[in-house]
Amino acid sequence: MRRETSRLTRVLLYSILLTFTFMTLYPVFWLIVSSFKTTQEFQVNRLGLPRRWTCQNYPLAWKIGGFGHLFTNSIIYTVGSTAAVVLLSLSAGFAFAKIRSRATPFLHGSFVIGILLSVEAVLIPLFLMANAAGLTDTRLGILLPYIGMGMPKGIYLCTEYIKSIPDSLVESARIDGASYPKILASIIAPMAKPVATTLAILNVTGVWNEFMLVNVLTSKTSLKSLPIGILKFSGALSSDYGKQLAALVVGMLPMLIFYTIFRNQITKGVSAGAVKG
Amino acid sequence: MKAGDAAVGQGRSGTAEISPGSVRRTKMSGARREERWAYVLLVMPAVLVYWAVMAFPAFFSVGLSLTNYNGGPLWSSMNPVKFVGLSNYVKMLRDPFFSISLKNNTYIILVSVFGQIPLGFILAYVLSRRLVGMRDFFQGMIYVPTVISTIVVGILWQSIFSPYGPFTEIMHKLNPAWENTLFTNPRTAMIPVLVVILWMYTGTYLIVFLANLQKIDPEVIEAAKIDGATEWRALRHIILPMLSGVIVTSAILAISGSLQSFSLIFAMTAGNPARRTSVLSLYMYDAAFRGAPDYGLANAISTFIVALSLALIALLKFVENRVGGREE
Repeated sequence: MRRETSRLTRVLLYSILLTFTFMTLYPVFWLIVSSFKTTQEFQVNRLGLPRRWTCQNYPLAWKIGGFGHLFTNSIIYTVGSTAAVVLLSLSAGFAFAKIRSRATPFLHGSFVIGILLSVEAVLIPLFLMANAAGLTDTRLGILLPYIGMGMPKGIYLCTEYIKSIPDSLVESARIDGASYPKILASIIAPMAKPVATTLAILNVTGVWNEFMLVNVLTSKTSLKSLPIGILKFSGALSSDYGKQLAALVVGMLPMLIFYTIFRNQITKGVSAGAVKG
Repeated sequence: MKAGDAAVGQGRSGTAEISPGSVRRTKMSGARREERWAYVLLVMPAVLVYWAVMAFPAFFSVGLSLTNYNGGPLWSSMNPVKFVGLSNYVKMLRDPFFSISLKNNTYIILVSVFGQIPLGFILAYVLSRRLVGMRDFFQGMIYVPTVISTIVVGILWQSIFSPYGPFTEIMHKLNPAWENTLFTNPRTAMIPVLVVILWMYTGTYLIVFLANLQKIDPEVIEAAKIDGATEWRALRHIILPMLSGVIVTSAILAISGSLQSFSLIFAMTAGNPARRTSVLSLYMYDAAFRGAPDYGLANAISTFIVALSLALIALLKFVENRVGGREE
């Protein structure tokens, strides 16, 4: 009796797992295969393998979409904001965790509440403020919001992690005459490498894929990032299937590569990042 | 080396006895001053950036939602900004697109809380208890969609379900008379979106639950099974209570995430047909950036989004306390 139910459950479980697998693999397979067809062939042959494989979609999509620019911008935004988030979170987290101050509960609390704030909540005021400050259509105007968005999780994770480092290490360094910034650089930062890695990975995936902010805060083509460039193909160029699909493959690859390299750190980061507000 | 060790050992209590009182006082106050200065130095940059681009705009948005501000300088004598009370909120509540957006957001929240989380939990349990094979492979397959850019996922699935996509082709092979009106019929346009949302984000909860299940000692379950508990009873009575905190946290993340489903819908349907697949964030975006800008209305919508997510989270906390109370 129990054996029967467990077999039934097993069938059910495998069918759920296989549905997920199919939904992940088939679209990607279809996309990659179709991106090697000409648009003319795609019109008549939508499911099968290409009768004649062609690579011409890729260089054309790359050129039309200006992917060189888009990649450069995406890298600048991602690396710039991630470096700043990690640096600022480590230093503020260190102060919150190891220097006693009456300001800490309020300041730290203001960051933790921010975990629940979404881009939507600040998008329009940010747009108006950027206009007023003359920061629209500048890289700084895009980088600053990205840094601010990464801070809540960054502060939370870093403060918790640095709290777990024994106080005696900081105290003995103080007795040896080291200043706090020196202690941060020579003792805390090296010990906090795991949390810094987690934070960096969370931030890289978040900023690389972010779309709404950069879409609103810049109208200049030369400042746009990858997701916006890809979206252009589904708008103005949507009947040019070959190039549209090639653009999607180009947009998908960086994160797939990032995932295969940092698989374990990413999964660790996601579970650590699931913090309560 | 030895001297250093001794200093570490004395760190907390030793110094006071060694240094004479007067020297110690001046030293301490100097150290105190340096400590304060270091605190300000270390905290300031983070606070400045965060308050400027997150905390202040959040309050600014509430303020603007009570005015008729519509672009241009905030303080001008030509066209002064007027306080209009709650009229932007009244306008929002009367707008038919508000209720359409709210309804669609409700569907997304339901799919997240009652779809993604239970599925993520069950699959995490199954994988961590080694009830199926190829666990690493399945974990990757479920998780990888969350890593790919939402825009790419949105366009890709829009292509899959579109009249020129494989879904249509396959349906035509089964039934040549079938016509693909998925995205043109307002009644069905949300279905592909919800399917994709379920598929895309279950992986996040799978990972969160997996990490927390791995912290539970497997012997707890083994002992229960030796005592005659079935797998299901062990899950229900041992694992589920242990993870209730994680489940609540996941639900909070799911709710605030559901209200942020802008990019996927923007790429998949852009709110069409006739804005029937709009969600609150897209509704806000349209109010501010499509056609004549109405920043007052847009800020009222964004304030509503924040208030709604805080209210839902408070409700969740309330339910958690009630249920938690009953268990004890």
